Order: sequence, then C-alpha cells, then structure tokens
Amino acid sequence: MFFRLLMESFRRQRRRKMLAGIAILLGTTAVTAMLALATTIGDRIHKELAVYGANIVIYPKADLLDVKVGGVDVKPASGGAYLKESDLAKLKTIFWGNNITGVSPELPVQMSVARHAGDPLVAASAVGYWFDHDFSGLKTGAPALHPWWRLQGSWPTAQNDPGHRNVVVGANLAKKLSLNVGDNFTVQQTQTAGSAQSSAVVTGIVTTGNETDNEILMTLRDAQTFTGANDAVRRVEVSARTKPEDAFARVDPDSLPPKQREIWYCRPYANSIAYQIREAIPGAQAEQVRRVEQSEGNVLKRISGLMWLISAAALLAAGFAVSAAMATAILERRGEIGLMRSLGASKGAIALLFYAEAGLLAVLAGTMGYLLGSGLAAWLGARIFAGDGGTAEAILIPVLLPVVVALALIVAIAGSTPSIRTALRMDPSAILRADA
Amino acid sequence: MTKPGLSGKLSLFGMLRRSLIHRRARSISALIAMTVSAGVATALLTLYADLDAKLHKEFRSFGANIVITAPASAPLRPDALARVQDIAGKDALAAQFAYAVATTDTGTPVVVAGTDFAAVKRLDSWWQVDSWPEPSTADAALLGQRAAQFVGNEKAVALNFAGHLITLHGVGRIKTGGEEDSRIYMPLAAFTAWTGVGPSVIELQMPGGAATVEATMARLRQTLPEMQVQPVRQLVEGESKIVDRTHALMYGAVLLIALTVAVSVLATLSASVLERRRDFALMKALGGSQMQLMGMFLLEALTLALAGVAAGFVVGSAAAWAISEGNFHTAALPHLSVLPLVFLLNVTIAAMAALFPARVLRGLQPAALLKGE
Repeated sequence: MFFRLLMESFRRQRRRKMLAGIAILLGTTAVTAMLALATTIGDRIHKELAVYGANIVIYPKADLLDVKVGGVDVKPASGGAYLKESDLAKLKTIFWGNNITGVSPELPVQMSVARHAGDPLVAASAVGYWFDHDFSGLKTGAPALHPWWRLQGSWPTAQNDPGHRNVVVGANLAKKLSLNVGDNFTVQQTQTAGSAQSSAVVTGIVTTGNETDNEILMTLRDAQTFTGANDAVRRVEVSARTKPEDAFARVDPDSLPPKQREIWYCRPYANSIAYQIREAIPGAQAEQVRRVEQSEGNVLKRISGLMWLISAAALLAAGFAVSAAMATAILERRGEIGLMRSLGASKGAIALLFYAEAGLLAVLAGTMGYLLGSGLAAWLGARIFAGDGGTAEAILIPVLLPVVVALALIVAIAGSTPSIRTALRMDPSAILRADA
Repeated sequence: MTKPGLSGKLSLFGMLRRSLIHRRARSISALIAMTVSAGVATALLTLYADLDAKLHKEFRSFGANIVITAPASAPLRPDALARVQDIAGKDALAAQFAYAVATTDTGTPVVVAGTDFAAVKRLDSWWQVDSWPEPSTADAALLGQRAAQFVGNEKAVALNFAGHLITLHGVGRIKTGGEEDSRIYMPLAAFTAWTGVGPSVIELQMPGGAATVEATMARLRQTLPEMQVQPVRQLVEGESKIVDRTHALMYGAVLLIALTVAVSVLATLSASVLERRRDFALMKALGGSQMQLMGMFLLEALTLALAGVAAGFVVGSAAAWAISEGNFHTAALPHLSVLPLVFLLNVTIAAMAALFPARVLRGLQPAALLKGE
C-alpha cells in the first residue's frame, strides 16, 4: 500500500513533482558545477601561472657570486663550480618527483662573434639550454619554462658536425650583427687572433624583453663542447606544482621532531621540494624563487578562496530555493493529508510517505543534477581555460556524487519538515472543510 | 479607488493588505524567496563589480612590472623618480636603484646596490628579510644570503670600490632565490657619497592590466625620451590572462547561480498563485474581470518583490562585504549601481510568477471550481 501510494503520487501529480524536481535539479547542478570548478581551479590557475617561469632554482653550492648588473655578467669567466647534467635524472626520483613539470638547465659561455670571417670580433655571451629535451618522458626545456619568449624560426637542434652549430640569436644582437634566420656567422672562443674559428647557422631569432635579447642560445651539448666542460651545467630552473606556503612550510625541517619532519617532507611545499633536491643531487643548492613562488601562492589562495566562497553562496541559495519549493509542494497537499488522517492513517505513516517522496525526488533529481553539473563544469572550464592543452577533459569527480545527493536529501527533508508538521498538527476535518 | 462591482468598502489596497496578512505564512515564505534571490544577486554583482580591481591588487605582490633604465652614458636625472611617480599616479609603487661592483674584505667582487629601503619593502614584498634597517641609519646594509658567505664580518662589512673604503653595519640577510641573493643593499645617499655613482634604474609597479601598463609606458616614453622603458613581459601578460579567466569564471558562476535562484523562486511563487484558484474563482464569480484579477495578483507579487529587493540588498551587500573581507582582506562597499539590475531581476521573476499561471486560470469555470470539481 505504501509503495502504491508513493508510485501513484509520482504518476498523478506530475506538475507538482516537476516543480520541486526542477528546483532540486537546478540547485544540485549549480552546486556540483561550482564545487567541481573550485576543486580543480588550483591546477588550472597553476598552469596559467606557469608563464611566470621557474619557482625553484638549483645552483652549485660552491659557486662564486653572480656579479650581474643590468643583465651584464662581470663574473670572472674562469672558475666557478658546475653541476652534472647526468645528475638531473635524479630529480625524477625525489618524493615529489611527479610534481616537477619542467626542468631547464643552463650553461653560460663567453665567446666572440663576427658577421663574416675576417670581420672584427665582438664579445658576446651565449647560453646552452635544453630545447625540446626528453627528460624521462617529460618534454621540457627552456621554451617551456619561458613561455613569454617569442621565437621567429625554429629552436636549434644538435648537429653532428661541430663546425656547423645551430643557434638562436637574441633580437638585439641579431639587429647589431644584421643577422636573419638562415644566415651563417663566425664564432671563436676568445678575442685573441689565433684560436680556432667555426661557423654557426641562425635557425631562429628570439625576443624576450630582458637581457636574453643580447645573447646567443645554443643547445646544451654544443655549449659543453665549446667550453670543453662535458656534462656541466651552471644553473637549473625547475617548475614544480607546489602547495602555497604557510607557517609550517617555513620551519627548518632539521629542527622538527621525526614525526613532524615526516609530515613537512611529505607536503609539496616549494621548501620541501627544494630540500629533497638538495638531498638528491650532491653539491647542489636549491632555493625557491620567492618572487614567483610567494606571489603565485598568494594569487592562487585568493582565487580558489573566492571560488569556495561562491560555491558556499551557491549552496546556500540552492538550499533556500529547494526547501522553499518542497515546503510549497507539501502545503499544496494539505487536503490529501486531511483525507488520509480521516481515513485512519497515523501521523507517522503520513510523515513517512511524504519524507519518502521527498527523498526519492532528491535522489533522482540530485543524481541528474550531478551529471548535468559535471558536464557544465567541464564545458565552462574548457571554454574559459581554452588553449592550455588537456583541459577539455570531463570533470567527473565521483566523490561529489554522494556529497551532492546527500546535500539534496538533507535540504529536501529539512525543507519539508516544517510544512509536514504544520499540516499534521491541523485538525483533519478543518482542512477538509476548507479545501472542499 | 473602489472596484466597480465590489462593495464600496473593499479598496484594492485593502484587499492587498488583507491578502498579505491573512495568509501570513505564505506571504513570509514568498518574501523570503524574493529576499534570497535579491540578496544573492546583490552579493554576486557587488563582488563582480570589484573583482578586477581586487585581483589586480593581489598581483602587486609580484613586484615591478615596468623597468626604466637610464642610458649607459648618463645617470638618471635627479628629478626622474618624482616625475615617474607623477606620471604613474600615486597608486603606483616606485623605487630607484644604483649599482656598482665592489670587492669584499675576502677579495670577492660583489654587486652593491644603493636604494631606499622603505620603498623596496613595499615594492618587493616577496623579499624575506630578517630585519629591515631603521630609516635613520645611514650605514645600514642588507646582505644577500649568498653574498653574506663572502663577507668576513657581517656586522662590520668592509667594502672597497676603486680604492674608496667603506664599512657598513649589516643588519640582516635577504633571501629571494634570485639575483638579490648575490648582492649587498645599502641606503642610496650613503652609496652615492661613497662611489659617486647615481641611480640608474627605476622599478615601477603599475597596478592594472596590460592596457594600463601600456598606456603608462607610452606616457613615460613621451615625457622621458632619453630613458629606456621596458615591461616585465611575463608579469604583464600573465596578469591579464589570469584576471580575464577569473573574471570569465565568475561571470559563469553568477549566471548559473542567478538562474538557479530565479527558476526556483519562480516555481515556488507560481505554485502559490496556482494554489489560490479558489480566491480567483470567488472574485470572478463576484464580477471581477480577468484583467482586474491578474492585476491584483501582479500587484501582490510586485509588492513582495519590492520588499525582497530592499531586504535582499542589505543582506547581499553584507554578504559581499564578508566574502571580500574574508578572502581579499579589503571591504567591498555596497554598490548602489547594482540596485537597478537586482530590481529588474526580482520584478521580472515576480511578474512571471504572477502571469505564468494565467493560462491555467483563464480556462477555469468559477462555478465548477467553487463546487469543488
């Protein structure tokens, strides 16, 4: 009998059920979409913030000071310590190795260049980089960590013949030497006459807006053979997904008790990733780039905070709307309640029937709302963050399904309760007379 | 204003008042619904109106986005900083720097920079400094954490610039992970007195998006043609991109929530109108025309909508203030400019809620309804 009442109620009162159902459906859709966006916003914004470049930098502990003014390096060319390129593979083995999204080693080289063989030589600085390097499955290199570099032409590739290097030239230097893509020019190790000359081919011209505009960019391998320092790198830039710094992140891990230290170690703070890099690579000093890391954390915190608060607002609004719709749906049916009471149904049985209806409605409309909301979140995310690659995937977060349905259930039942209680408290004959 | 065909004692407003008061529970629930819809709309629109300014403010923590460099031949003019500040407006942060290479007591070359510590502290908020020097001390120095390793005595830093010696009082270390780690910073006046080198670089933090930065740069180039004005490209580009995307996200969220609330409120209200078929039938039987009755319902809904806007604006502005204070640590003051939009939204919902059931009601036969069929 109970099930029959329940089924008939859904079959015969389609309009009323539709109204309450639409309210729940829309409410859960909005809440699911907002929650799905709020939980994924961190990764999305992190990807956007990648334009600011590396957030961790590694250099040899024993290195001399950088003596750079306005991008001109006046550090003595000789001396200085190097890191080993072959050691970089260890970056993938650290605890948070999977959070490393980009690696770009650098090796600066001093050289002299001339437009044509025999022309007076000009001192120029060159830097060896990875360009499209396969770093154990991760395609990375300088262009990936400096997305604001604008290239005309193509990045250099390693050539077998050391006499014909492929290089990219900074825009200012290219202008000074009147070089275009495809041109050849002469490079020499020092300005003194006797040393060996070789030629280089310009494969591209890069504009960066900083001192790199005056530099020559070559492959790391070429830079190493040029200086005769095999396997050497001077500095490594690392881009890693991190958790914004809090007070706990700033403590010195070696001063913590073992248990706390473990927790510190296993959180993806920039500090703990830098600590793990120092452990993994001998002789290396790793530091967070505070300008990028601190500010990114700040922006990330604000934007995701905003999304969570908006989600809370959506939740509140949807809650109000659903409970108001449920209350109306019950109020409309006081006549039915009066009839059932006068036919001998107990208050408990009637309440159970109404709660069962509300529950069924909440589960059905809530599930549909979850699916609709997930689709909407995916669509919104893909539209807003278009062109970042890999963001168009559907956001189907399974954890959200029980959460959203449970919320719908709670709100629907809480919304119906006052109306059910009022209706049950009234005298059945009075209701029936008023509604006759 | 008496209604023709009704008793002279029953005015339209009398009926309205009685209808609202008699069905108090129903009126209150409708009023709550209208308040929620107006409140949510107000809160979201208020936040939305301020969003760009607030986000741009957060991006200030990235520091300078414009770098002004003097030509190699000549230092900056003495009034350069004042003129830059004048062009950029008082919201912009600017600091000037002078650089020279000196040797430390251990014989290591090091870059020494002269600057105004108070300006740098505001401009470069990401610097981790254990203690900023007092503005009054002329010989205070901040040591980059790497530079500090090449200094014999951190409390009395002895530096040599082309034979000129100076001893600075090191008050703390700087940690940034960037070039600053290899430098020693000191007050500009003492720096110039020691080296004879004047400031050559002004770093400027211009709040606002790419368009504002471009416009400021154009003005700077026009007024100070001898200087090189460069944007910090990654900052300018990144900021605009992120602000635009957050803006779009917020726009989507506002539309979504507004739609949810509007449809739910519409459902609630129109159900409550539909429920009053008996009133409708009675009035019709007493001689009211279709138009009069619809007008009556409409007026009732509009009254509720108006009350909802008044209450919702207050509630929504308070919510926006709380969200803004909680998230951005700055208050979002109530925007009266959102009021017309909120009003329009609520009135539309109310009008639709009143008129939506009109089709259902028109077909009803008063006699049949009153009989209970």
